[in-house]
Amino acid sequence: MFPDGLLHRSPQERVRYAEILVYIAAADGELVREEIAVIEAMMGRAMIHPESRVTVRSGFEQPIPLEQSLADLDVSFAQLILRDAALVAAVDGDYDRRELTALRKIAKTANVSSKQLSVLLDWVTEGWHWFEKATDFLSE
Amino acid sequence: MLPDTVHKLPREERFAYARLLAFMARIDNELTVDEMAMFEQRLGTALLSPGQREQIRAALKNPPSLEKCLEDLSGEAGRLALRDAVMMAAADGTVDEDERDALEDISEHLGLKEDAVEQLLAWTVKGYKWMKEGYELLDVLEE
Repeated sequence: MFPDGLLHRSPQERVRYAEILVYIAAADGELVREEIAVIEAMMGRAMIHPESRVTVRSGFEQPIPLEQSLADLDVSFAQLILRDAALVAAVDGDYDRRELTALRKIAKTANVSSKQLSVLLDWVTEGWHWFEKATDFLSE
Repeated sequence: MLPDTVHKLPREERFAYARLLAFMARIDNELTVDEMAMFEQRLGTALLSPGQREQIRAALKNPPSLEKCLEDLSGEAGRLALRDAVMMAAADGTVDEDERDALEDISEHLGLKEDAVEQLLAWTVKGYKWMKEGYELLDVLEE
């Protein structure tokens, strides 16, 4: 679906990707069904092995600390994670203060400025508008 | 990821939704990595039970007929399945004749407007453009 290099990343890297997304989803408190659905979708798209998904799900209640997941992450991979983390953070319709703090930490690892992070969040908003259009015309 | 409602459907309807996507994934007897990733993404969104996932993956190997898939599909689940079937059909960059025919059959079964598939294809093109912009954005993010 996404023309990106996620599938070329190692299985370990893809698990780390999912663990960071779990952290973002859980940043504003307990995970809700929308957030679990988006994590499952991202794990599916990353084609993470079913057994590894079980490991990732174990972080739903106790996410791995973000600093630990971000350690030694290469910049281009951190940027890819930042993009998807922004999508995950938006899933409940708003960016919580704690989600924004976490996004800024990822942005720092990814060498992305606040201004550029803002551009990325605008891109997420455009995606929301695009996605909603299908719902609109299918329900006409 | 985006404001979706698949996970809100009743369990049986989510299963019917996923089964239709399994049918679409195998319609041209090819399953590209892009299609598989898209299929797995939608399967994740549907929040199926482990048992249902096994059944759906089995349906990928031995796909049910379109008629069988449509038996249990109507209303919102049907519309969401058509939307995502269009995205899956376009995942490898082209929508071939068999895929297009199946999409039109689904749309007719759901009683949608004549140009519903056309509208969804145009919508999908816009979506892929948005996704591509997101990827290209990564190249210019670094300070």
